[in-house]
Amino acid sequence: MEFIREMLRRYFTLRRRDQFENDLADEIQLHLDLREQQLAERGLTPSEARRVARLRFGNTTRLKEKSRMAWTSEILSNFLQDVTYGARSLLHTRVLTAVAILSLALGIGANTAIFSLLDAVLLRSLPVRDPGQLVLLGTGTEDGIGSSIADSELYSYPFYRELLKRNQVFSDVAAIFSMTDDVHGFVVDESDQVKPESEMMHVALVSGSYFPMLGVHAQVGRMLQEGDDISQGDHPVAVISQRFWRRAFSSDSNILGRKVKLGSAFFNVVGVAPDEFFGTKVGEAPDIWVPASMTKSVPPGWDFNTGNFTQCVNIIGRLKAGVSLETATSNVNVLLQQITRGFSDADLSQKNLQTLNKIKVPLTPVATGLSSLRQEFSQPLQILMGVVVLVLLIACANIGNLLLARSRARARELGVRQALGAHRGRLIRQLMTESLLLALGGGALGVALGAVAIRVLIRLVSGGADTIPVAAGLDLRVLGFTCAVTILAALLFGTVPAVRATRLSLTDSLKDGRASSNTSARNPLAKALVIAQVCLSLVLMVGAGLFIRTLVNLNNIDPGFNRQGVLRLNIDSQSTGMKDSDPRLTAMFRQIESLVSAIPGVKAASFSAFTFREGSWNEAMLVPGMPGNENIGVHQNVVGDGYFATMQISLLAGRTFNPGDSANSQRVAVISEHIAQTLFPPGNPIGRHFTIHDDGKDIDHEVIGIVKDVKFSDLREKTKNVNYLSYRQRSWGFGDFEVRYTGDYSAISHAVQQTIHSVNRTLPIMNVTTLDEQVARTMTNQRLVAQLSTFFGILAAFLSCIGVYGVMSYTISRRTNEIGIRIALGADRSNVRFLVMRETLMLVSGGIALGIPIALAGRRVIETMLYGLHGTEVASIAVSTALLLAAALLAGFLPAHRASMVDPIVALRFE
Amino acid sequence: MAALSRLGKDLRADRDEIPPGTLYLLVLKTLSVRGRLHGYEIAEGIQQASDDVLQVEEGSLYPALQRMLLKGWVNAEWGVTAGNRRARYYTLTQLGRKQLQAEISQFERVIGAITRVVQTA
Repeated sequence: MEFIREMLRRYFTLRRRDQFENDLADEIQLHLDLREQQLAERGLTPSEARRVARLRFGNTTRLKEKSRMAWTSEILSNFLQDVTYGARSLLHTRVLTAVAILSLALGIGANTAIFSLLDAVLLRSLPVRDPGQLVLLGTGTEDGIGSSIADSELYSYPFYRELLKRNQVFSDVAAIFSMTDDVHGFVVDESDQVKPESEMMHVALVSGSYFPMLGVHAQVGRMLQEGDDISQGDHPVAVISQRFWRRAFSSDSNILGRKVKLGSAFFNVVGVAPDEFFGTKVGEAPDIWVPASMTKSVPPGWDFNTGNFTQCVNIIGRLKAGVSLETATSNVNVLLQQITRGFSDADLSQKNLQTLNKIKVPLTPVATGLSSLRQEFSQPLQILMGVVVLVLLIACANIGNLLLARSRARARELGVRQALGAHRGRLIRQLMTESLLLALGGGALGVALGAVAIRVLIRLVSGGADTIPVAAGLDLRVLGFTCAVTILAALLFGTVPAVRATRLSLTDSLKDGRASSNTSARNPLAKALVIAQVCLSLVLMVGAGLFIRTLVNLNNIDPGFNRQGVLRLNIDSQSTGMKDSDPRLTAMFRQIESLVSAIPGVKAASFSAFTFREGSWNEAMLVPGMPGNENIGVHQNVVGDGYFATMQISLLAGRTFNPGDSANSQRVAVISEHIAQTLFPPGNPIGRHFTIHDDGKDIDHEVIGIVKDVKFSDLREKTKNVNYLSYRQRSWGFGDFEVRYTGDYSAISHAVQQTIHSVNRTLPIMNVTTLDEQVARTMTNQRLVAQLSTFFGILAAFLSCIGVYGVMSYTISRRTNEIGIRIALGADRSNVRFLVMRETLMLVSGGIALGIPIALAGRRVIETMLYGLHGTEVASIAVSTALLLAAALLAGFLPAHRASMVDPIVALRFE
Repeated sequence: MAALSRLGKDLRADRDEIPPGTLYLLVLKTLSVRGRLHGYEIAEGIQQASDDVLQVEEGSLYPALQRMLLKGWVNAEWGVTAGNRRARYYTLTQLGRKQLQAEISQFERVIGAITRVVQTA
């Protein structure tokens, strides 16, 4: 502390040096005068008094010097000198400095932004106690509800209870319901009135052991505990997130005892989680945590607490000290067999036992949390990180070149200083200080750019109106990273030029004569840097080309339905409190469909269980005479009559649903082409029957129509089987509503929402968008990579062009003399231009030749990110090469042109 | 003794009027007794308090005062002398008081040791 205060005092005193000197001089003068006066009073003659006073005082100049020295240290003053000198010399070449700082800022900003997201999604540990001890049963790649004999990813709640009791390897175990429920709940205000407007609340159901296991302590009140989870349905308590506390309760300090209403149940808020805690899933920040014992009360009312074979929770355990992952894995696998077989209602048929025997549970360390984001974005983010590192390298090469050129121009200055006795180390330190100044300038600007870029990036990643809640931002870790990158960059581009510049043969540089004018052979380093830049740029551009091509290919995939002209939205029918099978609910759906269909501009409208990439309900279709069908899961989609017209899925044979298909008539189904071909015996399947197991019964259906195949969850997927059922016969609590329209989107959107509210005023409407957008969102990461890699590819090419321009300009300026002689001797101006252009061409072709094999090798790294590319890399390389050549030659043309305009008279006088 | 001579290096007067290394101590003590003083008054103060035995090499007072300012032992502010001249007045800070205690106890320790050495001889 005292040291810092001392530094501050030093700083404030030294900042006003003139005043310091004046003050000191005044003070000393006063002393001398007073002493002189005293001596004179004692009887000395004025001149004698003056002499003695001075004598007694000592050497004033020396003493002033000493007083000044009290405030400075040599290192500090040298450093300050270097900084001032460096800043002055950088300001001297303003344009070059600006270009250097700007390109560095772009590079550092991009690195900061990508790293911050990469860190949040992939690297950062959960803010819990000893995250390194946490392991997940399974790999965390699935969520949902299953009902098999056992599963290696999802487990039943009773299984968790047994595991908790019987394992020997975990100090604690917790269960988390694998799906975060999106509930339209209500906040209860201070006077116990339920607020009229519902609010979207993300609700996580967790076991009572969850927070104790994580070691997360409440900011206010308490977290959930074992006692909240011991008996069914009688612990309506909730812990809320800091964000939700702010948003829904305006950070009310009397939060404890406030209530939220989820479905029909009221939950007491017992605590607020700490700010940094966002749960255990990166990218899914719950607003509310509720004990698993309350599962039935949280809409949609999953009831998983008692089902021994309802696999729906993730299990996380904390390894006991000294227990290895292997030991834990074998213990868990033994217990999986024992516990599963031990359930009283276990169906241990031959087939189930076979399945059970095959199940092997891997344990995955989850210090960084669970994340579906990670699966999706880990590769794109890593690729982008690689890309921005390359961009930064290119920027560094540019600055290195710039400094190299500058230091050569300063050769004379440095030579003189060395001749006058300056240490080489001192000169290197000074040049390095300049590099550091440049880097810091670039770094500071880069952080500012990065802060903006992070927000843009999260928007791009989210791909929709709601941004994914990831904790990416300029925190200390990210700033530390940026700082390290900045210093590394300075070392990278500063060291070599500084060492080179001070390694002089003195006489040469002092002569500064024509001996050194033959530079073409003298800056191989600068040329190597330019070649490297061009090479890296080519790699980036080829990559960008491949990603763009992939995006285009994906976009060109025919999903089997018409993406254009469809409005889609979600309603929350659970908020009505009616059961899915309630006839009033079905009537409401029908009323909405018919009223919306009547809106001018609307061609068709329909509810559906799924549209595109919204999960699935899979059941086998059992067709008489087709053994093996029971092993093939078929996507089941429950739809309205107008679904096929809305989606424009073409009917190939038979008919689609109509009002004649009622709850009391024969169950009917429309099957996809692929089902007709693979799950039915040869011949026309229309009129044939099949059964699906639904709601505990085998239900007979008759095929009434065949429609074209559609993509169901991914554009790249192989053709999937989709079977359509009518909600007139099979009730469904819909969320998805689709409207085919013509005309203005916002007008239609407004009219549709008004119509829905005219049927039910309080029905929450969400995610209003177009079908096209919904499909496009599934390509978010391809789009992200394509857009960003294109941007960086162009940036890299641009930086390389600056590099080419810089080196060629410099070469010309050093060869002015030679060029002058050539012209004087009769060389054609176009000849001179050609001379320079040829050199540019050599540099660029060198870079390209080096870049092509690297690009081809790099393609393998990004293989899995690509789609539908057959030999396209040739085209991509050709286009990139052409673009790069054109740009670089343009950059080289300017100096070449300048060279050809050299006036021989001036040139010969030059130097 | 090593510490003493290091401290005293830039304080030692040509005429060796005061023991090396004690300049800080003397300045701090004088300020603590007499409060707010300017440089000349400090020099005079030391001389008077020692019944004119100790004479500060006057110039060396100023670098010492600057170092004490840097260390935060004293504060300086500008004022006007009786003769209506601009002067820099020094006062002791909290930190300076602590330093004075430290200097005194160190001084006593050294003097005690020296005395013992001299007496045994």
